[in-house]
Amino acid sequence: MATITLASKRRRSGLAAKQRKQALRTAAFMSPWLIGFAVFFAYPLISTVYFSFMHYDGFKPPTWSGTKNWTYVFEHYPFFWPALRNTLWLVLVMVTLRVLFGLGIGLLITKIKTGTGVFRTLFYLPYLAPPVAATMAFAFLLNPGTGPVNSILEKVGIPAPGWFNDPAWSKPALTLLALWGIGDLMVIFMAALLDVPKEQYEAAELDGASAWQRFRYVTLPNISPIIMFAVVTGVIQTMQYYTQPLIAGKVASGVIQGAGTQFEPGYPEKSTLTLPQLVYNLGFQRFDYGSACVVALVLFALSMVFTAFLMRRRGGLNLAGD
Amino acid sequence: MAQVLDKPVQVKAPVSAAERTARRRSLLEWIAIHSLGVAAALFFVLPFVFVLLTSLMSDTQALSRDLIPHTWEWSNYKKVFDTPGFLTWWKNTLIYAGLGTVLTVVSSIPVAYALAKFRFRGRNLSLMLVISMMMLPPQVVIIPMYLFWAKQLDLSGTLWPLIIPMAFGDAFSIFLLRQFLMTIPNEYIDAAKVDGCGDFRTLLKVVLPMARPGIAAVALFQFFYAWNDYFGPQIYASENPGAWTLSYGLESFKGAHHTDWNLTMAATVLVMAPVILVFFFAQKAFVEGVTLTGVKG
Amino acid sequence: MPEKSWKVIPEVSRKAAVALAASASLALLATSCTGQSSSGADDDASKNTTINFWHAWSAPNEVKAVNSLVAGFEKAHPNIHVNVVANMTDDKINQALRAGGDKAPDVISSFTTNNVGKFCSSGALADLNPFFKKAGIDPETTFPKAMNEYTQFDGNRCTAPLLGDAYGLYYNKTAFKKAGITSPPKTWSEFEADAKKLTITQGNSYKQLGFMPNYHGWESTTEHYFGQFSPTYFSKAGKSELATDPAFEAGFKLQKKLVDELGGYQKLETYRSKLGDEWGVKHPFHTGQVAMQLDGEWRLGMALDAKPKFDVGVAPLPVPDDRAAQYGKGYITGTITGISAASHKQNAAWELVKYMTTNTDAVVNFSNAIHNVPSTLAALKSPKLKYDPRFKTFLDIAANPNSTTSPASINGGVYLATIQNFGYDYESGKTTDLKAGLKKTAAQIDTDIAQAK
Repeated sequence: MATITLASKRRRSGLAAKQRKQALRTAAFMSPWLIGFAVFFAYPLISTVYFSFMHYDGFKPPTWSGTKNWTYVFEHYPFFWPALRNTLWLVLVMVTLRVLFGLGIGLLITKIKTGTGVFRTLFYLPYLAPPVAATMAFAFLLNPGTGPVNSILEKVGIPAPGWFNDPAWSKPALTLLALWGIGDLMVIFMAALLDVPKEQYEAAELDGASAWQRFRYVTLPNISPIIMFAVVTGVIQTMQYYTQPLIAGKVASGVIQGAGTQFEPGYPEKSTLTLPQLVYNLGFQRFDYGSACVVALVLFALSMVFTAFLMRRRGGLNLAGD
Repeated sequence: MAQVLDKPVQVKAPVSAAERTARRRSLLEWIAIHSLGVAAALFFVLPFVFVLLTSLMSDTQALSRDLIPHTWEWSNYKKVFDTPGFLTWWKNTLIYAGLGTVLTVVSSIPVAYALAKFRFRGRNLSLMLVISMMMLPPQVVIIPMYLFWAKQLDLSGTLWPLIIPMAFGDAFSIFLLRQFLMTIPNEYIDAAKVDGCGDFRTLLKVVLPMARPGIAAVALFQFFYAWNDYFGPQIYASENPGAWTLSYGLESFKGAHHTDWNLTMAATVLVMAPVILVFFFAQKAFVEGVTLTGVKG
Repeated sequence: MPEKSWKVIPEVSRKAAVALAASASLALLATSCTGQSSSGADDDASKNTTINFWHAWSAPNEVKAVNSLVAGFEKAHPNIHVNVVANMTDDKINQALRAGGDKAPDVISSFTTNNVGKFCSSGALADLNPFFKKAGIDPETTFPKAMNEYTQFDGNRCTAPLLGDAYGLYYNKTAFKKAGITSPPKTWSEFEADAKKLTITQGNSYKQLGFMPNYHGWESTTEHYFGQFSPTYFSKAGKSELATDPAFEAGFKLQKKLVDELGGYQKLETYRSKLGDEWGVKHPFHTGQVAMQLDGEWRLGMALDAKPKFDVGVAPLPVPDDRAAQYGKGYITGTITGISAASHKQNAAWELVKYMTTNTDAVVNFSNAIHNVPSTLAALKSPKLKYDPRFKTFLDIAANPNSTTSPASINGGVYLATIQNFGYDYESGKTTDLKAGLKKTAAQIDTDIAQAK
């Protein structure tokens, strides 16, 4: 009896030791991210919630203010709802157009037989341009008075819009900029389109399907996961849309640090406001850190909603797969 | 007779009408597709061309509606280079992007490996958390992070608040690497274990060499993310011109040269060019990396 | 199947607990150490020391002028060396002041006069009143009235004026002659009439526009218009008087009338978007596209540099008909300078501020170099001032006791931006009920200020 107990004890402790060793190993490998997660994600998130209830201007110590910041942002801050509306516009229009255009360019590229490499490189290049540089270039090109685009349009006789200076055209101008940088979506769609099994096309052709029918019944079903991926990541990117609208507004408004007032975002007429810009405006221009945290939490909530949607839609994500 | 029949005679088969129509249609198709391609190429390339042309104009001409410079002012580029701080911006951007990339890759690899190959409780939870972090806009946590770096550690006015976090893994890189590492067959790893290698040596000697394309893709993405970053330097480095990066400096440049569009466009070219050059040398890794995110997983 | 080990299950929750505890303690740490430690002025200004001076000027001639100004100071105070940094706009200065620490500047200067309220109330800049008292300088008799007004907030004088800007009327003398106008308009009614006379339409646009009234038109902002109406922005209790002071209503109505009479908002806005940049060579006044321009004193130098094909005239802006006797006044603002409250070298910093803002010769030389209005009464009268005779108009405006400015407020220029945004809505016809709009805007201003307290 004793020997069996001893042996089984040794086996059990051996097992426990092995598991402990494995746990340590996992912890060691995961440690960089674990620390990063705690310090750069969890802690600031809790802090943001905390500061959203405080009044803090960066100089005097923070004081409790309860729901004052929340009431201010939702009811009195004149930029909050326009920014939300703009986000909605961008999600509905810019993301949709990007996905459609990306698919279109991807299709085009797969059909180009001569000089595919050259075309692909040219189509991809704009995506590489740093956002600040690209936005400034477009602000210059689309300058209603002195830009080349309008001068060409007018020569041809087409009424030239005010682009970044016209509240009705500023978001379309930003969309144009986003379409110019379609390279990333083009590559994804291109890969997906090339992945469609050729046999399915051949089978459809034998059945007498037209080009459109082939597209609708063979191509689309095969690439629909990619389309979904492009839509959801597009929405998530829209949540983070910061640099381009800010730079476009700054450059187009021509507001220089001259005598008098500071630059309020969203030129022209709040049409280019986005939520991330509000965090900057409230936190680093108005020095109302509390309200900035309120907007930050709204941004967080919106992003998490779409992240959850992405994760559910992508199903496995190879979570289990080994 | 024999000589004539030596060489087989090629007799052209008569072309049927249907074939002719089909050939004409495919020719028309070719023309249509390639015209569309050229039109698209113009859309993508013309802005670069205009920017380049404007960068070579004189001060007054840049404000006019002319499209072609009258005089080719290559000196504009020299003026931009001589702008105080321009070379500093270069140096800072290289440090931020270079050092940041190295730190990211080194710290993300073990995490990605664990998520790909280890089985442990909390793996799925960790993976979901990684994805959540990927989707998080930086503005959500910027206030406490800024207070932490500026007030606690007195590191504002430097790029350290941006570089140091990269030593703790980057969610996007971790995710990408994980997807890639999962495609490496377990047999290699098992073989290494049998040979007596510990987990770390297995990773180093066996897995990493096979993961080179994935690592290259991740490195490139991280490099460009840091190179193009505007928000980060705006928050942390703005008060110290000695710490500015190219993105932030470019915007400041426009502020200081309100209407010198020719100089601003020259500066823009100088900021865009290196990225495009690196791309030309690393095309394959790039495209593979983008494909990894979208198509696989 | 390996049996479940209790040591492994809580691993994740253990890690989570540790992470949570760490975050909570870090959060507490962050909040406890967020105050600014004030350093006080306890340094010895006669010892060798180096101070940092950040300013916002960026044009090459301006930067040169600042450097000579500082060089003059260093000559007079050889033991104090100054590190000058140019092109430091407000966002950078604000952040540096808030971050504190050794890299922060000791002396700053900013174009955004509206930030004085923020700087003073938050304690970012040191109160200069004790320094002035110790040096025996009375700001009230040293600086022009309006400049004293915009450099302090709530009894705290945390800034001093470092040259100023005055706004007046530029007019195209040649176009005036052609239109048969003999002298610049003194009242707004005369101005309206002149603007119409000087407007020559061409198709759907203009060959020459008498005046660009739109609020986006470079310097035709709400506060510059209203300056002529002597408005009271805030009551003694700190509430916005936008809806109660008739000056505002009159100002908005005037601008709207100009917009409607000169062609309507849309036509004017389309024309404006095609006009040249404010700081460029093709400024519409320089090219003759606009015959009258509301602008600051710097425009004279720029206009003459552009070698226009007409005679440039300068005059004070018109006044409301019922205040005709006040003609000659204008809107004043200017660059402000101050000492960072976190600086360890405040006495040395004060020597620099004192020199730059009160040393008559220094102020005069600086003003001559960048063509801004001198900021001391003594400098305004100095025979060493070099200026184009037309520039004298601005000197007179600056010295005029009726000249106005916009007061400091606790949240800086937010209230002005709010008023301006309402202006955009009103001029474009988006809002038609002026009285209701003013009430709503005043309420917004009050709410924003309450939020900032």
